[in-house]
This record gives sequence, structure tokens and C-alpha cells, in this order.
Amino acid sequence: MNLGNTVLVWVISFVVVTLFFYGLDHMVMSSQDLPLNLNLTPAQ
Amino acid sequence: MWLKTLLTVSPAAAASVPKQGRTKWCLWLASIMVVMGLGQLLGISPVDSLQAAEVVAQGSAEVLKGAPELAAADYPRVGNSSSRAVVWILAQMHLFFAAFVLAVPLFVVVIEWVGVKTGDARYDDMAHEFMKVSMTAYSITALFGGTLAFALFLLYPDFMGYMLEVFGSQVLVYALLFFLESAILYMYYYSWYALRYGNAKYVHLSLGLLLNVVGTTLLVIANAWATFMMAPSGVDANGAVTGDIWEIIRGPLWNPVNLHRFIANIAFGGAIVGAYAAYKFLSGRSNTEKAHYDWMGYTSNFIAVLSFLPLPFAGYWLMAEVYAYSQQMGITAMGGILAWLFIVQAVLIGTILLASNYYLWSGMSRTEGSYRYKWLVKYIAIVLTGGFLVWVTPHTLILSAKEVAALGGSHHHLLGPLGIMPAKNIAVNLMLIVTFLSFQLYRRSDKVATVSWAPAGNALMVAIYVIAVVNVIFAGVYYGYFTNTVYKVGSSVMQVVSTLVVIVAGVVIDGMMYKGAKKLPSEWGKVSNRSQYALFALPVAFTWLMALMGYVRSSVRGSWHVYTVMKDSSPDNFIPAIGYAGNMMTIVTVMFLLCVLFVFWIASLSSTKQIPPDSQ
Repeated sequence: MNLGNTVLVWVISFVVVTLFFYGLDHMVMSSQDLPLNLNLTPAQ
Repeated sequence: MWLKTLLTVSPAAAASVPKQGRTKWCLWLASIMVVMGLGQLLGISPVDSLQAAEVVAQGSAEVLKGAPELAAADYPRVGNSSSRAVVWILAQMHLFFAAFVLAVPLFVVVIEWVGVKTGDARYDDMAHEFMKVSMTAYSITALFGGTLAFALFLLYPDFMGYMLEVFGSQVLVYALLFFLESAILYMYYYSWYALRYGNAKYVHLSLGLLLNVVGTTLLVIANAWATFMMAPSGVDANGAVTGDIWEIIRGPLWNPVNLHRFIANIAFGGAIVGAYAAYKFLSGRSNTEKAHYDWMGYTSNFIAVLSFLPLPFAGYWLMAEVYAYSQQMGITAMGGILAWLFIVQAVLIGTILLASNYYLWSGMSRTEGSYRYKWLVKYIAIVLTGGFLVWVTPHTLILSAKEVAALGGSHHHLLGPLGIMPAKNIAVNLMLIVTFLSFQLYRRSDKVATVSWAPAGNALMVAIYVIAVVNVIFAGVYYGYFTNTVYKVGSSVMQVVSTLVVIVAGVVIDGMMYKGAKKLPSEWGKVSNRSQYALFALPVAFTWLMALMGYVRSSVRGSWHVYTVMKDSSPDNFIPAIGYAGNMMTIVTVMFLLCVLFVFWIASLSSTKQIPPDSQ
């Protein structure tokens, strides 16, 4: 695997996992009636 | 009553049918009686439930018998001894041994199954040896159980009378299951070599499965008694039975306690047999013997750590349900007199995590492939130590006026923020994540992945660790310190889920990535003696922890036998001082460990043979 591909794999991994955890946080908090706003601040 | 009704009806009904059909009628009637009898024995008689419902519906038409109201004179005493201390020690000893003997068959069946699937006889031998250790412990469990029952009936007769009135014939089901458990256990152990190969092995595995079904049922039945005392259900405010046995059993804390004890028992059982393996490793003479017990110790630690990782989450659920049931009870546990015990809990859990991590790092020396990961160990150690220090930081210190003045307030300006739950939640989750990392590195150290997507798999795993750690810290800091309490509590679930994602993803990704991997040479027995002392530290800390948290769980009832329903009027109806409780826990822990040494010695004795005098 060349350097370009390696960097791409790492970037994709981090982006995918970040999105996954962001979605998970939304799901976990909204299941407790505590929705997050898009800017990650709690709903008032 | 149902029996009387049946007997009254049956002659007339029998006379109305032809003689030829009378035999069938009698058989049918006998069957019904057997089924109803079993139902009565199991405590699920529909007639009783209907009667209970009718009594409720009639309201004041029939006065229900509530829990007895007692005076101090109603409690018999034996000399000047404290009845609570006697029952405390006996109950705790019984619970320690019961936890051990119920847990061992759970993982023994799994190991036996692995032996069948891999065709490796070493698994089978190890599973058998685990059972051998637990056999002596089984008799001791029964002895402490019987003595506990005698002590309870002698020292708390009215309380026991009330409990029997509530649970009725359900206690007979417990006794019946105990007989079954004993019978199946002996069949399972003694038929090991008689049912070892071919289809017979599956019969043996089925026996093991049945043993665990019965054992787990025993566990959940006994749990119902403890959870009824904490959060009674199926009774009214006076303690009069209004529901059927099922309503009484399934109180709000029953399932959280069931889950917590089930997982904790496995971790505890794994730790005890790990100590046995360490004891045999250190006393082993030959390399073969050392290699065998090194492997056994590793397997035990694997069982203990893997089942210990989700335990804090089960504990979290239990405490959340305690708060949901009674805020006062929750505050007594975590914010009142018992709160300091949670600092001791932190020390013990920290000890468990440090010991298991140390064992894993030491175990890496078995293979040369571990050089690839050893550089990470120091960072894991830093996180563990930092997490441990944050976890043991108390929020409020007991200070004199002079000390408060010197400190500039009741909370140290730096340590105060570390004494509250958000900081501790971060610390615990990070400690669990890095413990799993140690475990994963250990598992990887003797393998090289050969699948083409291994680099991508590694990148994904690293990303999961990094983002999960960021998420845990973000949730703890942002929601813990800068938002309101509702978000503070809610975000702790985010942290728990992040940790679980790491564990599940780690198991799944490694399972797929290391399938058919190249194995590097690994030498069992090539491990330091020091690492074996970590295996001794585990059961000591686990036992102490069980004594500690069992005490917390039980004493949150305060001055109630059955919370809000039956008052405890005995001379011991108060939560004792922490020092006294600490001494009691220590005494019972030492007693148990001495008994465990006896069990190890007995287990070794069975394989010791005296040399005939002629050949000397």
C-alpha cells in the first residue's frame, strides 16, 4: 500500500468513526429525551 | 382449599360416568391433582392468586395480615453476641462460596465445548480440574447455607416467619432445585471420563448445561428474597400480601441484581481458580507442570477480566434503579454515611485493574512478538495510575475547623472538581478502555494478521480507540461541568456506550482480522513468578469488594428488615460506623481466603499418592 492510500485509509477511518460516534451520541441522548443541537450544545 | 374442593366434587362426578370410563376419569383427575400439586409447590396456584385478587377487591371486607410489629424483646440473643454480626459473617461466607460454585460450571461448560470444537484434550483436562476445585467448595457452601438458616430462625424468628409467609411454598422450590443441583453436579463431575468421546460427550455437555440452568435459577430465586427486603412488591404498605408469588419476586431491583450478581460471580469464580493456578504454578516442579498451570492461570485471568469489564455498567443500572425506586435509599448509599465506602470500592477496583493489567504485560514475555506493542505499556500505566488517583479523590473531607481554614474552604480548589461523579466517570471509563487495550495487545502479541485488509482494520481500531476516548472526556467535561444535572446524568450513558463500542468492536475486528493468522512461537511457563502474585491479588481484592458492596446493598435499608414495610426493632437496627463495618468485612474476607486455601489443599491432596513402603 503506497503512502497516499495509507493516508486515505486513516482519514476515512477517522471520519467514519467520528460520524458513527456523533450519531450514537444523538441516539443515546434522545432516547433519554435529551436531544443535542447540531453545535453539540444541549437543548434548552 | 383447592384440594378440598376437588375431593368434594370428585365422587359425585365419578358416579355420573359409566364404569368403563371411570378409570380414564380417575387418571385424568390424578393428573390434574399432580399438576395442581406442582403448581402449589411452585407457588403459582391460580386459586391462591384469585383469592388474593378477591381480597384486594373486597377492600375492608377482609383484613389482610400485615408484617409483624416487633419490640427489642422479640429478638432472642445468644449470650452477649451481636446477632447481626453472627448472621453477617454466615451470610457473607455462604454468598462467597455460592458465588464461586455457581460460577465455575458456567465457564467450565464453555471450556469443555471449546475442547470439543478444537479437538484439543488440554481444554477438557483443564475444565475437569476447574470442577475438581469447586467440588469441595460445594459442600462448604451447603454447610454455611444450613448454618445461616439455623442462625436466622434462631435469632430473627419473627422476621423469618414473615418472609416464609410472603414467599410461601417458593422456598420449597429452592430446596427442590438444591437437590437437583447436587444430583446433576455429582453426575456431571463423576461422569467426566465415562462420557468423554463421541455422542456421549454431548450427553455430558447437556448435563453441564442443565447444571447451569438449575444453578442460575437457584441464584435468581435467592436474589428475590434479598431484593424483596430492599424494594418490596406484591404487598401493601403494611406488608400484607396482595399479589401472587410472581408479583412478589419481580420487584424493581430483581433483574438489576440478577444481572449484576451473574456477571460478578463469573469474574469472582475466574479470579479464585486463577489463584489456584498460580498456587500450582509456584509449587510446580517440572516445566510441563508449570506450562500447564501458566496456561490455566492465563485462562482464569481471561475469564475474570472479560466478565469484569461490563460489571460497572451492571452496577450503574442497579444504582439507577435504586434511585428510581427510592431517592432516599440512593442518597444513603452514594451521598450519605455509605458514600465513603465507594472510595474504598475505587481502591479495590483500581487494585483489580492494576493487577490484571500487570499480569497481561508480564504474560507478553511468553512470546517474542510482543516487542511490537511493549512501547504502549507505559502509556497505559500512566492512564491507569491517573484514573486511579482521580477515582479515589474524595469530594468532602472530614476536617477540623483549623484544617478548613488552612485549606481555604471545605473543598480543596484543585481536588474539589475531581471528587465529583463526572471526573470519576471519565476515570473509570478510561481505565476500562485501556485495560481492554492491554488485553487486546496481549492477544495480538503472538500473531501476525494475514488478511489483505489488515492495515485498514488497524486504522479503524485505532480510530475507534481515539474517538471513544475523546467522546468519554468530552461528555464528562462538557456535560459534567457546564450543563445542568439532567444532562450530567444522561451523558454518562454516552460514556458507557463509548466504552462498550470499543470492547465489542475490538472483539469483532480482531476475531475477523486474526482468522487464519500466522502464529508466532509462544512458550507457556515462560513467565515471571511476580506475575503469579498478581493472580493472588485478584481474588483478595474481589472478595473484599464483594464483602464491601454486599454490605452497602444490604445496609441501605437502614432500620428496616423489609424497607418501609417491616421495621427492624432489634438492638442492631442502625447502620454501624464505617470502622466497625470495615473490620467485619476484613474478618469475613480473611476467613474466606483461609477456607479457599483449604479447598486448594484438598484439591491437590486428591492427586497425591503415597509411595509404597516396599519401593522406598
